[in-house]
Amino acid sequence: MKTLYRILIGSLMIFAISISIIACSTKKDVYTEVPDTEVADMGEEFKIEKSGAQLWGEVCNRCHLAPSPADYNDTDWETISLHMRVRANLTEKEITGIKGFLQSAN
Amino acid sequence: MKNLIIFLLALSFGSQFYGQTYNNFEPSKTQFMIRGYGHTGFNYMDSGDEKESSYVGSAFAPIFLFKHSDKLMFEAELEFELENNNLEIGLEYADVMYVLNKNMTIRAGKFILPFGTFMERLHPAWINRLTTRPLGFGHDGIAPASGVGVELRGVFDLGGSSLNYSVYSTNGPRLKDGNVEPEEAGMLMFENFEDNNLSKAIGGRLGLLPFADSSTEVGFSAYSTNGVGEKDSEYEDIGAFLYALDFSFVKQVTPLKGIIDFKAQYNNSNVDTAEFAEAHGEEGELEEVEGEEVYSFENKSNSFYTQLSYRPTMAGSDFIRKLELVGRFSNFNTPEGAEWEEKSNQYAFGINYWLTWRSVIKLSYQTTETEGGHGDSGITNTDGFFVHWAIGF
Repeated sequence: MKTLYRILIGSLMIFAISISIIACSTKKDVYTEVPDTEVADMGEEFKIEKSGAQLWGEVCNRCHLAPSPADYNDTDWETISLHMRVRANLTEKEITGIKGFLQSAN
Repeated sequence: MKNLIIFLLALSFGSQFYGQTYNNFEPSKTQFMIRGYGHTGFNYMDSGDEKESSYVGSAFAPIFLFKHSDKLMFEAELEFELENNNLEIGLEYADVMYVLNKNMTIRAGKFILPFGTFMERLHPAWINRLTTRPLGFGHDGIAPASGVGVELRGVFDLGGSSLNYSVYSTNGPRLKDGNVEPEEAGMLMFENFEDNNLSKAIGGRLGLLPFADSSTEVGFSAYSTNGVGEKDSEYEDIGAFLYALDFSFVKQVTPLKGIIDFKAQYNNSNVDTAEFAEAHGEEGELEEVEGEEVYSFENKSNSFYTQLSYRPTMAGSDFIRKLELVGRFSNFNTPEGAEWEEKSNQYAFGINYWLTWRSVIKLSYQTTETEGGHGDSGITNTDGFFVHWAIGF
C-alpha cells in the first residue's frame, strides 16, 4: 500500500505542478469579463461559436434539467454562475455563454 | 408658514435626490444567496417477515453562497433531517474558493470530494432521478463523500473537447478498530474533522469530455492514504487505496424524441490487512477476555451502479414531455470474513413527473437481494416502494 501511496502522491504532485505551470502561462493570464469590444469582434466568429442558449441546453443537462432563466435575476445568476463554474468544472467559455444567455432571457 | 415651505422644499428635493440614487442603482459585487433543496415522501419496505411503511419527514438542505467578488466565494450546505424522532443536523460542506485563473481554482475547507461523480454532482434529491442512492454510497458505503482539506481544480478547453481535473489533500479516513462497534471493525469512516494521525489522504480526479457537444464524460478518480488508524495505535500504519471509474452520456436523440441520460460508476476500496478482536459480548458489545482471539480478513470492497433515464422532451403532449422513465442496477461487495461481509444486488425502477425544472414527483420501486451484512447470514430480499417530492430552490 505504501508503494501505491508513493506512486500516487508522486504522480499527483507532478500533475499539479504541470497543471499550475500550464495554467499560469496562458496568454489570458487572469479570469476577466469579456470587454464589449471583444464581444463585438466575436460576431464574425458567430458561425463557429456555440450560442449561450446551446451551451445552456447541453452543459446544464449533464447533471440536472436546464434552469429557467426567469427564476432568478441578473445578480442571482452572477452568484449561481460562479458557484456552478467551480462545482461542475465548467470552462470559461461555457460559463460566460450560459450566464449571458440566462441574464438576457430572464 | 415658513417652516411648512422649508419642509415642502426639503421633501421635494429630497425625493428627487432619492429618485436619482435609485435610478443609478447597480448591484454590488458582494452578494449573499440562499439556495438548496428539500424532499419529503412515503416509503414502504417489505423484507419478508418484516414490513414497514412510513411517511418520511422532509429533509431540508439550505446552501449558503456568499460571493465576495468575481473570483472569491464562500459556500456551505447544511442538512436538516428527521431521524429516529430526532432532528439531525449535518454540515455537508463549508469551503472557500478562489478562482486563480481561467484554468485553476483553489478550494479549502470541508468540500465534497470528486470521487467519481455521484456524490459531487448527482446526489441532491432534486437531481438524483431515483428516491434512493445506489448501493455503496452514503452510510456504510465505500465511496468517500467529503473531506476537510485543500483542493486545486479546473478545466482546460481543448478546442471542442475539454479536460477537467482535481487534486486534493484531506485529513483522510479513520479506521473503525472495533472497540465501539465490533461488527464494523475494518470499515473506513470518512467524516474526519480533526485528523487522528499525521498522515494525510491525497487524491484527485481526471475527467475527459471528448466531444464538442459535452454529451460524454469519462473520469478516473484515486484516493490514497498511508495511515488510517489512531496515532500511536497498532493501526496507525494501515494504508488505504481507493479508485473509481465513472461514465456519463447525456444527449437528445431525435429518433427517440427525447433525452437519454446514462450514468455509471465503479468504486474500489483496498485497505491493508489488520487484526481485530473477536466480539464475544451480547448484542455486539466487545468483551475483554483473557487470551483475546483476533481475526483478520482481506479488506477489499467494491461497488458499481449504472442508471439509464429517458425524458420524451420532443413529445407532442405537454404531460408526456414532463415524464421521465428511469432504471438502475447497483451492487455492493464487502470483504469476505468481515463482520460486515455483504453481497448485494439492487434493481430500481421509477417514473418521474417534472413539475418544473427543479421540482419533481418520483415514484419508484426497488428490490434488493442481500447476502450477509452486519453479522447476518443467509439471503434477504427487500422490496421497497417510494413516493417522494423533491424540490430545488
